[in-house]
Amino acid sequence: ELTKLFQKSKSSGTGTVRITMKQYDGQDRHRPRKNRQPRRRAGGSGSGDATSSGGGECGCLIRATLNSRKLSTVVHQKDVNRFQLAFSSLLKGNIDGLKKRDKKAAAAATAAAAAAAKAKAKAS
Amino acid sequence: MTIAETWEQFAQVVDMMFAEDPKRCRVTVSYQPAQGVLVLKVTNDHVTVKYKTEHAQDVKKLEKLTSQLMRQLVSK
Repeated sequence: ELTKLFQKSKSSGTGTVRITMKQYDGQDRHRPRKNRQPRRRAGGSGSGDATSSGGGECGCLIRATLNSRKLSTVVHQKDVNRFQLAFSSLLKGNIDGLKKRDKKAAAAATAAAAAAAKAKAKAS
Repeated sequence: MTIAETWEQFAQVVDMMFAEDPKRCRVTVSYQPAQGVLVLKVTNDHVTVKYKTEHAQDVKKLEKLTSQLMRQLVSK
């Protein structure tokens, strides 16, 4: 699915592909506000805390969007390895069109950075 | 919003933010083929750090970083 998205963005020539990643603990609804009835509060935020502190149950929520098309998926611990392989090869394959750094430029950049770091260290 | 100058800086900040509060931290990767730019953004709703790049070798690093993060996110 993600491949389609990348391809579409390339062919259309406009638009950005955005990918977002965050932790997911199975809470689909909003947690009720604390100011409301104490019973609800105990139930709502209590259960929220339980799942978050439990650990090992969390998954990773990954979203991708392009203009108006949206995709999302949750990766659980069991699927992590497989997903990661597929995902990384996908990223590598589709994110091209970036400049390639020459060896000289790279060496110069790293040398400049190292020199700057040394100068700072000396000054401090 | 801070802009990181080098990948090492960015990686450090990401680790720090994630260690502090994994539940609130999120990473965004956005690729603009029109300009040939790759932008990474990390935020924990208080602080945001961005990293912009046009270089192909950063894609490899990005991919390493994302896989590492994914593992951490799932294990916690």
